[in-house]
Amino acid sequence: MSTNESTTTTNESTTTNGSATTDRTPVDDADVCVIGAGPAGALLSHSLANRGHDVVILEAGPRFDKEARVDRMKDQLHPTHSDNEIWDMGGERDEYSNSGEHSWPINQRRVKGVGGTSLHWGSVVPRLYEKDFEMQSRHGIARDWPISYEDLRPYYAQAEQEIGVAGDDDTPFLPRREESYPMDALPLSYSDKLFKQAGEALGVTVHSMPMAINTGEYDRNQCQGYGTCQFVCPSGGKYSADIHVRKAEQQGATVIDEAPVQRLNHGPAGEEITEAVYKTPDEETHRQTADTFVAAAGAYETPRLLFLSESAEYPNGLANSSGTLGKYFMGHPPAGVLGIVPGENTHQDEYGPVVSGGIHQFYEYDNPEDPQRASVNMFAINVAGPSPATMAMESTAIGDDLLQQVDAQFGSTLGINMSIEMLPREDNQIGIDESTTDNHGNPVPDVDISPGEFARKGQEKGLQVGSDLIEELGGNVVYANGTQTMEHDEMTPLGKGGYHPLGGTRMGSDPAESVVDPTLKTHDLDNLYISSGGVFVTSGASNPTLTIMALSLKAADHIHEELRA
Amino acid sequence: MELTRRDAVTALTAAGITATAGCSGLSGASGDADPTAVLVDVAGVLYPSEIEPTAEFIETFMFGRIADEESYREELTAGIETLNRLATDQQGGDFSTLSADQQTAVIEDTELRSGTSEPDGTDVERVNYYLLDELLFAFYSSPTGGELIGNNNPRGYPGGFGYSPPLEQ
Repeated sequence: MSTNESTTTTNESTTTNGSATTDRTPVDDADVCVIGAGPAGALLSHSLANRGHDVVILEAGPRFDKEARVDRMKDQLHPTHSDNEIWDMGGERDEYSNSGEHSWPINQRRVKGVGGTSLHWGSVVPRLYEKDFEMQSRHGIARDWPISYEDLRPYYAQAEQEIGVAGDDDTPFLPRREESYPMDALPLSYSDKLFKQAGEALGVTVHSMPMAINTGEYDRNQCQGYGTCQFVCPSGGKYSADIHVRKAEQQGATVIDEAPVQRLNHGPAGEEITEAVYKTPDEETHRQTADTFVAAAGAYETPRLLFLSESAEYPNGLANSSGTLGKYFMGHPPAGVLGIVPGENTHQDEYGPVVSGGIHQFYEYDNPEDPQRASVNMFAINVAGPSPATMAMESTAIGDDLLQQVDAQFGSTLGINMSIEMLPREDNQIGIDESTTDNHGNPVPDVDISPGEFARKGQEKGLQVGSDLIEELGGNVVYANGTQTMEHDEMTPLGKGGYHPLGGTRMGSDPAESVVDPTLKTHDLDNLYISSGGVFVTSGASNPTLTIMALSLKAADHIHEELRA
Repeated sequence: MELTRRDAVTALTAAGITATAGCSGLSGASGDADPTAVLVDVAGVLYPSEIEPTAEFIETFMFGRIADEESYREELTAGIETLNRLATDQQGGDFSTLSADQQTAVIEDTELRSGTSEPDGTDVERVNYYLLDELLFAFYSSPTGGELIGNNNPRGYPGGFGYSPPLEQ
């Protein structure tokens, strides 16, 4: 088992609150205690606070200073910094282990703080497809969700309205929708148009992608075109969940930041959670009581919290009478193609948003001509390769020589990234590593995951399509690999897995085979819900955050009904 | 080509970046030499020869994109001291007192560009990080630097979104 040590040793960050002076004591008479201020917790909390419920959010990380985003953006472009450092991930707080065959860089894929991982996401927001909910009944593989696309469809629309999505109602391939996107689609970028032109010759359709970027109609800054949305949007044009945390606060919710929950305690009969035990920076231990608890700490930390909350009644982890806690863990094994078209100005960087177009033609299963491979979600990149500033800082040249170097290296790249479906398997799991502890002495999460042949076939399909497009444009493919097509641990940090953690607390109707029911309430405890990608039954290939948000809004409705009753 | 402040201020102010605050907070003299003037001299070595760096450009594109001015001021002051020490050892005087060729020699013949750049590193590594790399970021993430490589809105610069010229047939 390997333990992953980060280059950073602290989690100090610029926050709007002074740690020493902030009141982090529990809230009296809370209706709902939400653990985690990322997209799941934020939308759920706002939905409930907006209906008059007293909500308290416990967030392990800090409340980041928006002014400092410019510095974080510069960190992103500076060659010295690794991706996890941009949002202060790493160090003892964020230790984890990999007992599987691959290193899995989870700290480069997540953010702890108000806004959560949406602070560094790319904001690509396709829905899951109808078939993703019905893989077992349609194709005899994986497992059906206990809810259908139709059950979630109104919540998808609600989530799109809440966060502000720019999209094209007529985009081919994407699942059926009955409501228009709140904003018109982003125009195709120059490189999208190149891919579209090449696709027309090859029978590949390039289309716009739905993006959670404000083109001017929402009450946050408009996109200003930094071109760094993944991992930092200094302008705030990209949606991030701190927006709904703030809206929840305006409706009376309380946020306690830098308050990692250590465990959940239940009552004598083991039927209800009574308190969330959390620590504060002054090393004090506090206990937050509430009528209802929602674990929304993401698919890595939520199973860990439940394992750490084991008790005499739940010796194998809280809410784990099924024995499935941590199991059926999935991700979207990434793959990417990078090419250079000699002599062509591909206008990288100039567009702003990192993604505007994509290809969902191969988001399918059981195509007779290409059977039984993973669905492929491809997105063309508008910032392929390093930025001019990064190139300049990496070089040792100066003056005219430096300009010539940057000019020669920059401007002719094209890139397509993709996320790939992965089948749920019992042996892919999140556990805890008792031999390694975090800064509070708790065992750290352990990741054991090996995507299989199904995913590899999907990557190969996407890589072939991407390579064909670049070659059709007269380009040379300089990189075309995925986590299943080359030795994983030899990949660059960006190329490795760890994106889009899903499963581990899966949803189901049968308490013997799942952790939560279709309302996201745990089968075992009457007042504990889980809202995260962990409840996914299958992964699909679509970027999962919109689905996480839709599920959270649905869970909020169930909680509201319960509290009202 | 002289780098001017006019377009820069317009763009950065529109983007919500406090360019003017950066100017007043960091350009004041804090020792023997005006730090901005020293940075203009360093930029003269780092930037292409057709560019004539100005204090306005440094103040806008570099200082204007530094959020924590107080911390940066300390690094700037310490960095200039290190730079002057290297310049004195190499060429016999503070950096700004040297000729253009001597200034180039200081940067080429030390570890200022060839060495590591680290925010928490040695004195020289910090000069690389806080002075030289900041100057390079300021230039190559500005429209002026971008234009020289055929890009009006390089990454890191808030030049608006959606620029998508028609395909060249």
